[in-house]
Amino acid sequence: MFKWLSKYFASPQALRDAGIMGMNSRNFKIISKNNRRCLYPLVDDKVQTKNLAQKFGINTPRLIGKIEFQHEAKLLPELVKDWPAFVIKPAHGSGGKGVLVIASHDDTGFTTPSGRKLTYKEIYQHISNTLSGLYSLGGQYDTAVIEEMVNFSHIFDDYSYQGIPDVRLIVYKGYPVMAMTRLATAASGGRANLHQGAVGVGLDIKTGKTLKAVMRNKPITHHPDTGADLSKIEVPFWREHLLIGAKAYEMTGLGYLGADIVLDADKGPMMLELNARPGLAVQIANGLGLYKVLKKVDKYYPKKLSPEERVDFVLYGRKK
Amino acid sequence: MLYRLKQLVTIRFILTVCLLLSMAYAGYSMYYKINYWGFSLAPKTRANVWTVEADVAFEADGNPIKISLATPKSSDEYKVLDQDIVAPGYDSKIENGRLILTSKGREGVQNVYYRILLFDNEGAKGKVAAPTPPTPEMPLFDEKQMAVAEEIWALAKKHPGDMPQQIIRLFNQVPPEPTVVAFMPLKKTPKATAEIISSLLAYKQIPSRLARGIKLAENKQSFAPDLMLEAYVDGRWKLYDLSNGQIGLPKDFIIIQRGGNSLLDLEGGADSVVKFSVLKSVTTSFNLAGKRAKLANDTAAFEASMYNLPVNQQNALKWLMIFPLAILVIAVIRNYIGLSTMGTFTPMLLAMALVKTGLIPGLICFAIIMTIGLLIRALFTRLNLLLVPRISAVVVCVILIIQFMTIIGYRFGSDIAASATFFPIIIMAWIIERASITWEEEGAFNSCREIVFSMIAALATYAVICNETIRYIMFAFNELNLVILFLIMLLGTYTGYRLTELKRFRPLVK
Repeated sequence: MFKWLSKYFASPQALRDAGIMGMNSRNFKIISKNNRRCLYPLVDDKVQTKNLAQKFGINTPRLIGKIEFQHEAKLLPELVKDWPAFVIKPAHGSGGKGVLVIASHDDTGFTTPSGRKLTYKEIYQHISNTLSGLYSLGGQYDTAVIEEMVNFSHIFDDYSYQGIPDVRLIVYKGYPVMAMTRLATAASGGRANLHQGAVGVGLDIKTGKTLKAVMRNKPITHHPDTGADLSKIEVPFWREHLLIGAKAYEMTGLGYLGADIVLDADKGPMMLELNARPGLAVQIANGLGLYKVLKKVDKYYPKKLSPEERVDFVLYGRKK
Repeated sequence: MLYRLKQLVTIRFILTVCLLLSMAYAGYSMYYKINYWGFSLAPKTRANVWTVEADVAFEADGNPIKISLATPKSSDEYKVLDQDIVAPGYDSKIENGRLILTSKGREGVQNVYYRILLFDNEGAKGKVAAPTPPTPEMPLFDEKQMAVAEEIWALAKKHPGDMPQQIIRLFNQVPPEPTVVAFMPLKKTPKATAEIISSLLAYKQIPSRLARGIKLAENKQSFAPDLMLEAYVDGRWKLYDLSNGQIGLPKDFIIIQRGGNSLLDLEGGADSVVKFSVLKSVTTSFNLAGKRAKLANDTAAFEASMYNLPVNQQNALKWLMIFPLAILVIAVIRNYIGLSTMGTFTPMLLAMALVKTGLIPGLICFAIIMTIGLLIRALFTRLNLLLVPRISAVVVCVILIIQFMTIIGYRFGSDIAASATFFPIIIMAWIIERASITWEEEGAFNSCREIVFSMIAALATYAVICNETIRYIMFAFNELNLVILFLIMLLGTYTGYRLTELKRFRPLVK
């Protein structure tokens, strides 16, 4: 009985020793202490995030336009007439829900990167659903954000079944402390959610290289669909990635945040979105406890550094 | 860091103190309600309430009337909850435990009624010590009578029991001893027999007195009070049944009058008769609470409580009082166990519905509504409706499903289908909508898992609140909700791992 238990369940003591952060302690000890409620709209509303990011010199996909009211949906063709490729997303969405990527469009309709054809009616429908709050966090009325499509770098092509992987950084008090990338698989239905069967790859915060790869809580070495060697991943422009995360702290004032960063072939790393309540899956991907790391930041990391100094501190263990 | 730790400890400390205080308050309040209001810990506790009515009838003779009627006193066994006099034109007062009614002279047959409400205080029936009565005077027996008395006592010794019992049993012996028959008065009324026994006891220097009382029995009409004998034996007044010598108060017997005083004294009339009738009514201890509170001089607190409200409002509150407990269960499931459910309180509302429908019929009903609802919702997906009209359409469909099920249930006499109306319609519609969207986005497996988890949470909540005793206790001792409040708040400071996290993070420890 006990053996069976310990096969499937860890003891709380063992988790504590490993410095694993649970949901309750994340909410109580970290989020409620570091993230003031009034700052949430800055990251929950993608339009605000974008405008702020521009002020702080953080690269984000350019805003083409936004649709706030149902009758404006018909204005979409006018908005995107100079943009063959674009993305429609809910301003208050989360977890990639309601994100529609359009690779090209003409008079007859729209085409997604995977080649699926969508009629005008279907696009209006999608926008309408977005506006009525289908994809938004609390189900409230929402705004549809139309933004430029990222010209994804091809370095990840072999690693993902569908879609483009992004890098998720956990930033604590301005210091990027943990990183991972999520790779969609056939099993996850092309989605990048770990609990649905996507591969989580923990990245060394100092180098951007693979630490560990897991799928459905089990370590793996190769991507199940593409067969790519997961241990070979090395994210280029790693310093720039970290810099985006570090700057997000000044930009939002959130002491604990998650930054989703994609790599554009021309413009380098771009911030896609920020999250004021990043999940705990990053611990599984890294095989490391987050709480331990956060406590280390509290204790030993210097305060009042600039974003660049903080990144250098993370990379080299000292101010450059 | 240290400061934060301190802060955390302080919040927890305050909440813990609040919790302990609320527990102490709840404990005291429960004690008070049980002892002064007569609440019990189990639901449906029935208390017997007796309505005893004395009907005094007499022929008035024109002189000023004074009626003096012996009345029962509140004792530990029986508490007089209420009394009521129906005697139009009479002035009434209670004096020395007797009801005194006065009136100017009247003519003709008079009827006055005296009604009391007695509460049967079972469990509190003890023995009361009495002061030692003086040694009774020797009865005035002549020598012949003394000889017979000696003879009777000699015969009585053959019977078991103490002396009053022996003598009573001798008098009840069948066939009677000739000696006894000779000693008996000519008119063999119970009262005369009792007086003879009393005098025989006095001969042996045992003080005794007559007691009148009535046996409380269901719907007993028009009867005269029973006579009993009380004798002072072993330093205590003991009550003897004159028909068999049994000691002690018979069950459901109430003494109206004791000793030499008469049951009824009447001036200004003749041919008086007192007839009693008894009506037993059963009531819950709740209904008695108000009257008992009055006895305890505690009407203000009771009137301010919810138990003084009209019954249907009480019922609504009774239903509401179970919510905090259900919410506590949900909070535990979410924060200690970590089960992810559809909506925070959806499982609780489902559990509430299950309580009303019953478990199996409720589950069957839920499954039917969900299945049909999901099928209809799948059709809606193709229509590409806007969100609000779509969810509205699902609501209407759920209502129609419930309507059909109720009609079918009635037609085929099935309670299962008829219980469909208890399900919260909007909640059902949202469950269908959520399940359908999860189905589309994350696949059937995740969708079903969400429903199953929600159902598990609902069943766990149901398991707690389906118990009628628990529901009753939460209503009768509603101060427990304060304890639950602080328990929930204390739960809000729990930073340990959830049960599901022990499994989720298992790979991170070797």
